[in-house]
Amino acid sequence: MNIIETHSLSKFYGKERGITDVTISVKQGEVFGFIGPNGAGKSTTIRTLLGLLAPNSGEAMLFGQSILENGHELRRRIGYLPSEVDYYAEMTSRELLEYHANLYGLENGGEKIRELAHYFELNLDRPISDLSFGDKKKCAIIQTVVHEPELLILDEPTSGLDPLMQNRFFELLESRNSKGTTIFFSSHILSEIQRLCDRAAIIRGGEITAVEDITTLLAKQMKKVRLVLASDTKLELPEGAQNQQWLGNKVLFDYVGPTKDLLQWLGRQEVVDLTLSEPDLESIFMNYYRR
Amino acid sequence: MNTVLFSKELKRNRKNTLIWTSIVLAFTLMILSIYPSFSHMGEDMVKLMSSLPEEFAKAFGMDEATWSSIIGFYATYYGIYVTLLMGIYTASTGATIIGKEERDGTAEFLLTRPISRGIVAGTKLAVLGALFIIIYLAQTLVAVIGMNLFGSEIAWDAMAAMHVHGFFLIAFFTAAGVLMGSFLSVKLNYMGPIVGMIFGSYFLNAIASATESVEWLAYLSPYHYLPLTLDQGALEPNLVACGAFAVLTALMVWVGYSRYLKRDILG
Repeated sequence: MNIIETHSLSKFYGKERGITDVTISVKQGEVFGFIGPNGAGKSTTIRTLLGLLAPNSGEAMLFGQSILENGHELRRRIGYLPSEVDYYAEMTSRELLEYHANLYGLENGGEKIRELAHYFELNLDRPISDLSFGDKKKCAIIQTVVHEPELLILDEPTSGLDPLMQNRFFELLESRNSKGTTIFFSSHILSEIQRLCDRAAIIRGGEITAVEDITTLLAKQMKKVRLVLASDTKLELPEGAQNQQWLGNKVLFDYVGPTKDLLQWLGRQEVVDLTLSEPDLESIFMNYYRR
Repeated sequence: MNTVLFSKELKRNRKNTLIWTSIVLAFTLMILSIYPSFSHMGEDMVKLMSSLPEEFAKAFGMDEATWSSIIGFYATYYGIYVTLLMGIYTASTGATIIGKEERDGTAEFLLTRPISRGIVAGTKLAVLGALFIIIYLAQTLVAVIGMNLFGSEIAWDAMAAMHVHGFFLIAFFTAAGVLMGSFLSVKLNYMGPIVGMIFGSYFLNAIASATESVEWLAYLSPYHYLPLTLDQGALEPNLVACGAFAVLTALMVWVGYSRYLKRDILG
């Protein structure tokens, strides 16, 4: 069963493009990545999925039902984490989360809130106006998961979280997913998508450029390679290397191809130092998804 | 209606309501408490009145009855200040009570909970109604107490008519605020347009009352149809106008509500 299904979903803000013909489907229990640079249309897609925006054409179905017709009932089954967190400044985190729990009619909300606040090390009694961005994000994460939804829709969920909290958050997501929760994970950070997702859609300029299994995506992924060699003799770089730049005994190049082949080639060289890094998304799109 | 949202919204508006209600009540009491000083001046005030330009007295609804009875004295200030203050508070609340969530960025939180947008808007309008009733009833109650404390031989019929007109006037301005809030940007500061609308309405009627050549201006003002000033110490309720304004009020609220249901929440 598809938990999320969109057909030719388009949204324009006046004449300005939001998204065009977005068609995706997310299966039950899947962790689905939604990746694209800032301004690509990720948040517009999510807002349309949630019924905050009315599409100009196409349709969005959650759990097989139209969000525009049964939105309030469907939202009971969803946990949504927005990218920008704005809450009622006059409330404390506890008041906000209890308000959230009351709107969902949670019976033991207080206990669950305390458990999650302990897990994320969030002081519940500080006013929201005094919270750092990271603490607001923790508060947002708790309100996203506390009612144990069947579907989590996460929009840039890790921004503002320190690495320790990011890790705890990923562990929580993995635990929820193992119990059957479907996760729609929007991000512009490829490594996050790699860690969690089974499949991912790539959106650029408001259009879906590709929907791939993560393994396929990884195979196509470009890596930035920086080598410091023992001598300054220019080597023949491996097949798949491009955009090479030599500076004495240092070489910088982009590599596209099987990682195994790169490692074998590296094994044959006298390498003093090696740095492999993730290219920015725009580079990936420019190299692999140009249309 | 959602009771969780209703109680939270009431709490959220508590401070503002308390401030505005206190101002209106203090003002009402102040007006009534100074009446005995004026009434002792009796004939001197009548003489002073006769020295004022007739147009000026007409514009502000003053005549001899203004100084000879507490209800006449109260009517002058009720029209000028009390309804303006209450109207500004309820209309500005009406303009922002729904849009405030969008302006503050909390709409995304509220509208992704399991409540329909219709229930959210309906509940917020119910809160607006409750706040309106609170300030209106509190002011009426304090006015009645003040009349008894500081006046005698009170024309209760005229006072009832004045407050019934006041009710429909303020309700009309409140609904106009709701309508304004649904059409204009949520980031706009509504206070200016609202003060302009209410003061403008009042002064259109005042100018029309004072100057025969622009009498027609009065037709543009709701104060013309629902007068708050006495004519020779008396005032009859205009029930037809009350009914018409009730329909207009309901219509404006409905349009505002309907627009909110279809609005994109941009966050």
